Formats: sequence, C-alpha cells, structure tokens
Amino acid sequence: MRNLKIISALMDYPEAELLEGRQELIDELRDDVFLEEPQKAALIEFIDQICTSDLLDVQEEYVSLFDRGRSHSLLLFEHVHGESRDRGQAMVDLMSVYEKQGFEISQRELPDYIPLFLEFLSIRPEQEVRQWLADISHILALLEARLHKRESGYAVLFEALLSLTGVVVEREELKEKVASEARDDTPEALDKVWEEEMVRFTEGGAQDSASSCGDSLLTQRRRELDSVDIAKPLHIQPSVQPSPTGTTGS
Amino acid sequence: MSHLLDRLKYLKKQKPESFSGGHGQTTDESRDWEDGYRQRWQHDKVVRSTHGVNCTGSCSWKIYVKNGLITWETQQTDYPRTRPDLPNHEPRGCPRGASYSWYIYSANRLKYPTVRKRLLKLWREAKARNSDPVAAWASIVEDDARAKSYKSVRGQGGFVRSSWDEVNEIIAASNTYTIKEHGPDRVIGFSPIPAMSMVSYAAGARYLSLIGGACLSFYDWYCDLPPASPMTWGEQTDVPESADWYNSNYIIAWGSNVPQTRTPDAHFFTEVRYKGTKTVGITPDYSEVAKLCDLWLNPKQGTDAALSMAFGHVILKEFHVDNPSQYFTDYVRKTTDMPFLVELEAREDGSYAAGRFTRASDFDAGLGQDNNPEWKTVAFDEQSNSFVVPNGSIGFRWGEKGKWNTEEKEASEGRSTTLKLSLLDSHDEVVSVGFPYFGGEENEHFTNNKFADVVHHNLPAKRINTVDGEKLVVTVYDLMLANYGIDRGLGGDFVATSYDDNAPYTPAWQEPITGVKRDVVIQVAREFADNANKTKGRSMVIVGAGMNHWYHMDMNYRGLMNMLIMCGCVGQSGGGWAHYVGQEKLRPQCGWLPLAFGLDWQRPPRHMNGTSFFYNHSSQWRYEKLDVDEILSPLADKSKWTGSLIDYNVRAERMGWLPSAPQLGTNPLELTKAAEAAGKSPQDYTVEQLKSGALSFACEDPDNPKNFPRNMFVWRSNLLGSSGKGHEYLLKYLLGTNHGLMNKDLGEDNGKKPEEVIWNDKGAEGKVDLLVTLDFRMSTTCLYSDIVLPTATWYEKDDLNTSDMHPFIHPLSAATDPAWEARSDWDIYKGIAEKFSEVCVGHLGVEKDIVTVPMQHDTPGELAQPMGVLDWKKGECEPVPGKSMPNLAVVERDYPNTYKRFTSVGPLLESLGNGGKGITWDTKEEVDFLKKLNWTHTEEGASEGRAKLETAIDAAEMILSLAPETNGTVAVKAWEALGEYTGLDHSHLAKPKEEEKIRFRDVQAQPRKIISSPTWSGLEDEHVSYNACYTNVHELIPWRTVTGRQQFYQDHEWMRDFGESLMSYRPPINTKSVNPIMNAKPNGNPEIALNWITPHQKWGIHSTYSDNLIMLTLSRGGPIIWMSEVDAAKVGIEDNDWVEIFNTNGAIAARVVVSQRVNEGMTMMYHAQERIVNVPGAETTGTRGGIHNSVTRVCPKPTHMIGGYAQQSYGFNYYGTVGSNRDEFVVVRKMKNIDWLDGEDNNTVQEAAK
Repeated sequence: MRNLKIISALMDYPEAELLEGRQELIDELRDDVFLEEPQKAALIEFIDQICTSDLLDVQEEYVSLFDRGRSHSLLLFEHVHGESRDRGQAMVDLMSVYEKQGFEISQRELPDYIPLFLEFLSIRPEQEVRQWLADISHILALLEARLHKRESGYAVLFEALLSLTGVVVEREELKEKVASEARDDTPEALDKVWEEEMVRFTEGGAQDSASSCGDSLLTQRRRELDSVDIAKPLHIQPSVQPSPTGTTGS
Repeated sequence: MSHLLDRLKYLKKQKPESFSGGHGQTTDESRDWEDGYRQRWQHDKVVRSTHGVNCTGSCSWKIYVKNGLITWETQQTDYPRTRPDLPNHEPRGCPRGASYSWYIYSANRLKYPTVRKRLLKLWREAKARNSDPVAAWASIVEDDARAKSYKSVRGQGGFVRSSWDEVNEIIAASNTYTIKEHGPDRVIGFSPIPAMSMVSYAAGARYLSLIGGACLSFYDWYCDLPPASPMTWGEQTDVPESADWYNSNYIIAWGSNVPQTRTPDAHFFTEVRYKGTKTVGITPDYSEVAKLCDLWLNPKQGTDAALSMAFGHVILKEFHVDNPSQYFTDYVRKTTDMPFLVELEAREDGSYAAGRFTRASDFDAGLGQDNNPEWKTVAFDEQSNSFVVPNGSIGFRWGEKGKWNTEEKEASEGRSTTLKLSLLDSHDEVVSVGFPYFGGEENEHFTNNKFADVVHHNLPAKRINTVDGEKLVVTVYDLMLANYGIDRGLGGDFVATSYDDNAPYTPAWQEPITGVKRDVVIQVAREFADNANKTKGRSMVIVGAGMNHWYHMDMNYRGLMNMLIMCGCVGQSGGGWAHYVGQEKLRPQCGWLPLAFGLDWQRPPRHMNGTSFFYNHSSQWRYEKLDVDEILSPLADKSKWTGSLIDYNVRAERMGWLPSAPQLGTNPLELTKAAEAAGKSPQDYTVEQLKSGALSFACEDPDNPKNFPRNMFVWRSNLLGSSGKGHEYLLKYLLGTNHGLMNKDLGEDNGKKPEEVIWNDKGAEGKVDLLVTLDFRMSTTCLYSDIVLPTATWYEKDDLNTSDMHPFIHPLSAATDPAWEARSDWDIYKGIAEKFSEVCVGHLGVEKDIVTVPMQHDTPGELAQPMGVLDWKKGECEPVPGKSMPNLAVVERDYPNTYKRFTSVGPLLESLGNGGKGITWDTKEEVDFLKKLNWTHTEEGASEGRAKLETAIDAAEMILSLAPETNGTVAVKAWEALGEYTGLDHSHLAKPKEEEKIRFRDVQAQPRKIISSPTWSGLEDEHVSYNACYTNVHELIPWRTVTGRQQFYQDHEWMRDFGESLMSYRPPINTKSVNPIMNAKPNGNPEIALNWITPHQKWGIHSTYSDNLIMLTLSRGGPIIWMSEVDAAKVGIEDNDWVEIFNTNGAIAARVVVSQRVNEGMTMMYHAQERIVNVPGAETTGTRGGIHNSVTRVCPKPTHMIGGYAQQSYGFNYYGTVGSNRDEFVVVRKMKNIDWLDGEDNNTVQEAAK
C-alpha cells in the first residue's frame, strides 16, 4: 500500500524535500485504490496546506506538537506502556518483526516510531496491513481525536489510516471523551490522579466497616481513577503482537 | 500460543526411555512455550553505569541491553568488601535511580539539535547574504531590531530542528565574532560538579579554556560551598566517607536529612545505632531524619548559631575550664591556633579590641626568621619561658623547605616546645576587651535577646616590645573562652554564674532565640563532649547545606566546627564534620585539571566566580537593599566602609582578590596589540593604562555593551531552572525576555548608588547574544536557550564518577549509542572545536591574550598582602601585579589549531610537570605511557606525535594516568613532593600501592578504591575509613591557614570589621523584599509573610529530575509548598489550595500542603521543581508563575571577597562570594483566579479564603 508511504512521509518532520514533492504526492494519491475519495481530498488539502506554508513555520508547529510532551507522541508504545518497564521489551519484539522480514532500522529511530512502522507496512501484503492497523486502531483514533481538538491538520493522516482498518470507531464517543480530557500537561489532571488523599478514620469507614480502612479507601480510589478522563496510556491487551505474520507456521 | 496442533491427541510415540529407576523420563515434545519466559529476561549484555551530574550516590547499576535497546536497570552488588567489623557498602541505589531508564526513550527526551525559529530564520537569511559565517553572525547581532526579535521571545517555545553541521557553524561563528570583537573573556561557560561525569565537564571546559573563555564556578554559586571551611582549615571541603559514620559513637545530624537526601548511604547511620551510638537530629521541621534519631531538637530556622554558642559554652566550661580533659587540652594545643598570640588595639574608652595575629616581623630581627617573617605567627613557650615561632605557619610554606609541619618545635633551633594556651597564670596585665554582640539586633520575624552591642570581658594579657613599640597580646584560647562568655574569675560585662543566667551565651540565653529548652542543650553538649573525651574524638556532626544557605552561614558552620575542634574530633576516625553537598569530591583532581582546563597546552586558564558574575552581570546589584552599615561590627570605624555591596566586589577584583570575567573594559587580544604598538610589555602597558584611568575593569561598567557576556554555554546543568538565584533578574537583564520582576531599582527607589560602578538609569537588557544548552531533556534552561543540543544520557556515554560518600571510582558506560541525534558531551564539544577551527580562519590566528589572575590559594600569591588592605585606585599604594592587583599573564592562543589541541595531550605536562594544592611533580613517564596507550597523532601539525584524545575513553585514561589517586607511581611522587615542604617522609602512605594503576576498563569491571594522595587530607587504606584532616592530625601536615593550624580566630581586617573574627550568633538579615509589596496588589484574600526555605526533596534532583512522571506520581504532581497548620489557619488556606507566593523579586504559583510537620513562620518549597510542568499564571505579575528562585536575589557578603591572605585567597570553587537565599521572606496568599495562560478555557476561580 503505497499510500502508507505517503502518510509516513507526511507524518515525518517536514523538510524542504517534502515541500518540493508536493505534486508527486498528490499524483500518487489520486492513483490510490484503497482510500475513499473524501479521505483523498482531505489528504490533498493537507498536502497543499503544508507545502504552501513557510517551511520554518511548519517545522515549528511540528516540534511543538510532536517533539514535546506525550499526548501526541509518535512513538506507539508511549501510548501503550508509558514509562513502564515493559516498553523496552515491546520495542525489542517489534524490531524482531522487522528482522524476520529481512529489514533493519537504518535511521536513528525507535522501532515504534509511527512513520517507520508505516513504511514497513507499505511493503507488506494488504491483508497483513489491515490487521496491523486494526491492532493499533485505538491509538490512531486517540491521536486523531487529540489532534482534532488542537485543530491540527495532522488529524487527517490518522483519519485516513483508520479508514483503512475497517474498524468502526465510535468517533463521537471518543471525541466527547477527548473533549472532556484535560491536556496531559495541565495540573488538574495530574493532581487528580496523583494526589495524596487524606486518611479519614471516621467518615466512610462506617459504610464498609468490615474491611480495613486502607483497603476500602484504596478500592474506592481506584474506582475514582478509572472514571477520570485524562491522557493516560491505553491498556490494550495484545499490544502489538505479530498475529498475522506470527509463528503460526511452527 | 496453545500449541494445540503440536500435540498429538490420539497417538503417542513409542514408550520413551526411562532412567534413574523410572523416576526420570526422556521426552522429545516441544518446549517452545518456555521461550516466552526465557526471552522476557534475556538480554544481550549488561553494562555498568551510574547517574551523573549531582548525585553523591555514584551507585553501581547494571544496565540491561537487548537488541541495542536499553530495557531496564538493577542495582549492582559487587563492590569490593570492606574490612571485618564494618558493614559493606551495598545495597546502593535508590528508587530515583531505578526510575531513570525511562528517560532514555521518553517523549520528553531531546532528540535533535534544535534552534529558536526566529534565530534560525535570521541565520539562514544572513548566510544567504554572506558566505562568511562570522560576517553573517555580525549582521544579526549588530542590528538591534534583528537581535531583539529573537532575544525577546526566549522562553516562549518556537523551536525547530536543525542539523549538527548547522548548529556547530552558528556556535563557531558566534564564538569567533565575540572573541574578535569583544574578547574571549566574553564567552562564558557554566557546568557544575565535575566529580559526577568528569569527562563531560572537561569536554566543555577544555574547549572554552583553549579559546580563552571563562568557566564559572558553581559550588559557591549554589551556596553549597561553606566559606567557613576554607577559613578554618584552608580546605575547600573535606569530609569523612559515609562508612566512617559507623566508627562514630555520637552523631548529630544537623540540618542534614540523611534518609531523604543520602538514601544509599543512610544504612551506615542506621547500622551504627545497633552498636549503641546515640543519634541526635537538629532540624526546624519534623523531617525524615528527626524520625530516625534518638533525640530531636527543633531550633527556629536560621538560629542554629545561637544553639551552637550555647553548646560551646557548656563544653568549654566543663571540659576545658572546670574539669579539663587532657585529651582536649593536648589536641587544641597541637592542632589549633589557640596558643597563638593576637595583638590588642586600644580604643578611646580605654578598652581594647582584638587585632591581628602577632607575627615574627613584629619582633626585633624577626625572631630569627628572614623568610616571610610577616607570615609567621608567634606563641609563648612554657619550656623556655619565651616567645617562639612554631613550625608550620604559612610563612614556612613558601620560600623555604622542611619546616612546614606541625611538630611541637620552634623554628630557629628546632627546640621542642609546649605552647601556652592561657596567659591566666602568667599575665602582665588584665585588660578589658570588647566583643561585638549581634544577638540584640531587631528583626520583626526573629526574637532577639538584647544586650549591649559590645560586650566587654577582662582578659589576661602580656606586654611585648615590638618594632612599633610596646603592645599587649592575648592568646586565642583566652579570647575564645571570653567570647563564649566563660567566666575566668576576671570579670566583665554580663558574666554568667550559672547556665540559668540570661547572659551571652548560656543555655538560658539561647532559649528565647531558638525555642530549644536549656536542659536539652546542656544534655547534648555534655554527651557530645563526654563521648569525645572517652573515645578520643569519635563524635560527629553531619551537616546539611540548608544551614549554609543563610547570609550568616559562616556563623552556623563555624559554630559546629568549633564544637568539634574543642572536643578533638576533627581528623579522628568516627569524628569530625560531614558536609556532603555540592562539590562531591573530584578524587582524581590532579589528573583531571590539565584535561579540563587545557593546562597541557596553555596556562593559566580563565576562571570566574559564579556568584559575583551573576550578581554583577544580571544587574542584581541594581536592586541592593542591604546597607553595609547593617552588617558591620559595632567595633568597626563606619566612616571607612562606604558604598554599596557591589563596590566591595569591584574593589576585591581590582585588588586581585577575586577574578574578573568579562575582565577589563577592552578586548584583551587588542590590549596586547596596543602594548606592542606602544613598544611596551603587555603587563607594563596594562598597569599604566589602569593607573591612568584610560582602562577600567569590566565590572565597573557592566551596562556598557563592550562589557556584556555575549556567549554562554550551559551543560550538565539546569542553570535557569534550579540554580538561577534571582531567576527573574537573569531573564530580564541577561536574556532580555519576559520576566516577573516587581522590584524597584536604586534609581527608582532613590537608594544609595554605588561609588565604583557607573550608574545608568536604564540597565542594559538582553546582554547575551547566544545561549547554548546541552541536555537530554527539555529543561527550563533549554526553554530559554537559543540553541539546544541533545546530549547522551548516563547510559549512553563513557565517563567517570567519584563521590565524597565512598572511596570508589566508578564508570559511566555507553550501553548503547545515544538515541536519535544525541551525542555525548565530549563529542559535542569536539564537533564545535572542529568547526570553530575552520570558521575562525581569517578572523583569528595566533593571538596573545592577557589573563588577569587573582592571588590564589596554594600558590606563593597567597602571601601577597600580610598587613592591612590598600587600594591602588584610591592612591593608597602602587598597582603591582600579583601584589596589589591581579597578576597579568600573557597566554598565546592558536585559534585555528583549537581542534588539534583539543584532541591531543599538549607539551606543557612534560616541560612544566603536573601537580595540585601547591606541589608539583615530574610527569613525563605518564605522558609517555599515554602515548603508548592512546596512540599518537600522525598527521602533520600541532598535534603530531602527541598522545590522542579522540574519545571520551582516551580522555578518561588521561585522568586516570596522571592522577595520584588512580596511579600508585604518581601517588608516591606526590607524597615525596609534599615531604620536601614538610621535611617529613610521607611516602609510606602510598608505597604499598606504587604499582597499582587503575584504568577505565578496570573500573568497568568493578568499582575501584582510590589510592591515598596529598591532594586530600584523609587516607584510603585498609585500616581506617576516609576522614577529613586525618593526615593533618596524624602526619603533622599543616592546615593551609595562616597559623598552619585549625583556626578559631580570623584576623584579616575585613573579618574583624565585619564582626566575624570569632564565632557569634547573627540573626538573619532583612532583605526588605516583602514590605513594599505586602497588601499592595490585593486579590481579596488575607496575606502572610513567611520565611522562604528551599530544601532538597524526596522526589527529584539527585539521579532523576522532578518532571519524571514516577516522581510526580509519588509527590503531588506539580509545584507545591509546605506550610504549618497555624499559619494556614491565620489566612484561611486549606490543604491543596492554589496559593501565590511572592515578593518584590518575583512570584510563584503552587499548591499548598498544610502539615503539622512544618513549624510556624516558615514555608518550604522543595528545590528544583520545574516550571515546565503545571504552572499557572501568577496574579501579581500576570506572567507564568516562576520557580523557587523567582523570589530570591543574591546578596553577597564582603568577607567572602577577601583575597591574597593565606587561606582567605581565591581558588576556583574554593573561596569567593556565595549565593545565600534563606533569609528571604515571601508573602503567601490564596489565589483567586487560576489562569493557565493557555487560552483554552481551563481557567477557574477559587473560593475565597475562609
């Protein structure tokens, strides 16, 4: 799917080469057979927008969106594992997927960098691509919604990717969720999750006198946390298991 | 995977073979399922590394690498064992260290060289106009509008990625332009604490030193340098290793929160309690250490010196006067200045004041001393009943050899002596001597104890005939007893007859000041001294730098040092002071110095003391509210002391006491050219120009664009985020960007203008043209920088660490290549040096630079000014370099060869040797060794045939080969060199390790214990733990002070006039930053003034930073302050409210933690919380709330500027002004509007205070 290569190029840090390749990108897109027309139109509009702006301005916007903070990170596992220790192993696993197909990473990038991952998919069979994209559709949807909220044109890239997955995303629901989601660098969100709660020995204890004070409070706290909407890592079970290309042969 | 299809359901293989009598069976079914478990903990390699910059831990960690990715870390547990009866060092490493690996791949990691967009745009346009990068840079900074356009948006985001080539070119062009137009001394670098990742520090310092840039000191700027240590011991800071805590029998943790801030070492503190050691915590708040100790004393913050005066009172009375301890008496006679004589100055009212030490030169024929008689102190000998010149005073150190030791001998004939401590039984007269008393000063926030400003005591004195006529002298011992208010039966003012009398400085006297009950004071003093008496000095004080952050820090520190010295604890195992802050002991210092400051190519390097630099060049002096009168001794002649505090610093620079950078009012490269044109030597020409007034010091006109610090490099540091005292001043004046300053300068305020500095009504703003920061995370400093360079993390580079907490040298190792475009500091500066060497051609060639060098400690220059202070500018003496003004050294710089010099070991080590702390040895052997080890350069040019310094490991090998601590042969040479001065043989201390050589791969295999060297005052051997001043006490090596002994008495004129020749209690100063603004910008909520305390925290700084999510999780996740329940109730604040904290210096917005842990009257904000996380706008300033330093301003102290006077002489990070900040008060009030300044409608209004 060469369209993935286009999206990958657009998602990477914008350089002069990208701006010069405007026509080439548009022509390729027009020939694409996988994307729906509205998607194509949106992408072309985005290409136009990027390629006709001042390069430094585009770069500045890119840096402020993607080089700082975690909510728009283009590293897949930032959204899956956050700062957990499992992140290293997940990257190792993904790298072995590339290796099995005879590739190694030629740039100083991490294996879960989305443009890199898309480039890999762009030369894989269609069925496999759709499966992979479906696996990460939660992340794509979340990024799309967050970028929409910031009114960034980059959202269309994720829309296009989602359209290829065939997964039905509850857009409105997600939009609502993200809309209510505080930016992850705002204090209220952080504080809410991490505040030290005052220990109360009288109130609350009455409702649940059977269990120890600590236990009931902890449970209650967890329940509260689950209902708090902030930009926290998604806990997707099969992370990025290589299901279609896996070791089924053995 | 279930392996459903792999298993046979209906069939089975033929019966397998069995063994072990049917208990074992061989099967061949698939065991692939096990791989899942196996692979999870498989790794390709484990690499040893640690955490750099400013953690004293230097703990060993195993870093696991899988497929080239760092996956996790665990504690390493293979330290060399200690000896029997001493616990081992491990486990080391704390949760902060264990959470570090996530930084490497974090979304917050800096990945690419990044430039402020506006600057990059200007640069690319300029480059299109000029192919010459230097001309391109000139076209930007010489155009006011262009320069302002990028300077004014500093701190407001707007970065774009660039390439290494491009950023190196901008930096090289900017450096070249600055050197050519303004001088190399206008290029400034700041990086702290080389002990942690010393090669990385050296990388930047080497580049800057080669081009003539100035490195700023940090230890004094951080205010972690305790000037009391150089004053008392002539030693920057030397402390016992943490294992020595285990040898102690009585430990006071005084303001040091050991379990919180010294986590990996705290186990020794806990373990020693099982031996029965008593532990006492002294902290104003109920801190972690308070919980760990047997006894907790909580003096009001800032009054510790009052407490220690009372401790000293009890100790002196009971253990020196009433029932003298033989051990204490012998100890103070041999190792302190107590027996030395001090002359008395007559006052108009018939009383006297203590003057300077009596010197051999006061006597006829100098008591037989021809060499430096004015630097040889005198005592009275009981054996011969005569005045003698004992060995070991500083006059013996220079100009002669063999008598600089502390043997109990007099110097002329070598007779043995017993020096008299007290003249009580052999006085000629009893005279009334006045002592300054500060405890009665008024301060609205501190309780005083009113007595006369001058307290008189009657002292036994002897009459002597001097070359200037008859004089009266007393001993330091008698002065000390009187000063602590001990009655000798001679009478005086306010003589205490019991501990319950309210007279200075009894236990009863301190009660109203500190709030500590007198009984506890008496108990602790007795226990402390009694234990020291019985164990020969095994009483210890672990002191936290918080005590050192007060304006009168020297009183806090000298108070407890005095206790230790009185009790014979210093230099004894298990005894002494332990101050583990900020410097962290760069153990292989002598090997590192040539690498870091390019001493192998050119000497001397250009250094500048950080505090004076920032005070002057960020215009904090323009707001000076502290009048000199407020800090003078009541015994001083006030008419002598005029001007503002900046004037004192300017005078100190002119007189050669403190360094200068920017240096003089002109480009030093031009100065040498002008001298040549005039047909004069550069030195003569400069002196002439200075004398005529045609030339001035840059510090005398800091608002003149000629004198701006134009380029700044910051690496391994968050200068603006955590250590920028007077943060808002730095933003306004150095950077020229948005700031939250609300203060009025001396012009607006109609204050007392300086005498020595040119005043402009509008101070210059945006002085720095280019701010370059190297970091691996987007710190506050990066946000304000023009160029941000991504550097390697601690698991991605090769480097070395040493610590004062343990004796091991430890590597940082590159487990993987730096991620993304990051490079190690060594490679970054190497790249800049390469580009610079290319870009400078045509602009700079071989140039002569003139460097002003202050009279330095540990050089003969420390004997420059023995008697009195004279200022040449006022015509009081002639300007003579090295004597009455700075030395002027001409240094040849070969700019186009900067890169070749950077990457090779230069020739001066072979021709001039190597050394440190006043001694030198031949080191040709080691340089030859390096040529074989690192190989030599073969290409033609400056570096041909010289040992290579291409990689960080090459650089590490240079350090390790040249340093006595890591090369036994050098250690023996160093001890022999010292032996020539002392006339004693010390080489036995290193002989057993002569053939031991520690190399980089050795420390990667296992941390190695260093070898004993004369660079340090303790020993590393198999029998004693490292303890400071051990060799002074046991090897009779003098302390590097005037008397050669530990000094209770400081006799410099400025010390006397500022009232600190002896220890006393001085209440905090009034910074006057609260009253002008309290209730001036009301938001409807009540306000309260509280003391601003910024201790080290549990959730950040060391090892990791506070913007780490794990650390934020454990704390409250954003800036917080702590305040007491009582204060909170007064102004209707509840826990977790948003509050604003402000004074005239700036404002902070934070959440509040209301806790009974905190005492009334103070508020705490943990050090170094970042402004990049969760900071709303402050209501008073309308800009984003600042950091903990936003409400501070530096206020230097004249006594720290003293120079050319033995131990009180300048040394980089050794002596100089310090940036104290604890005397500051702030207004705290509940916020009304929480405005995030992000235009996203998240703003809220807080309910009014109840």
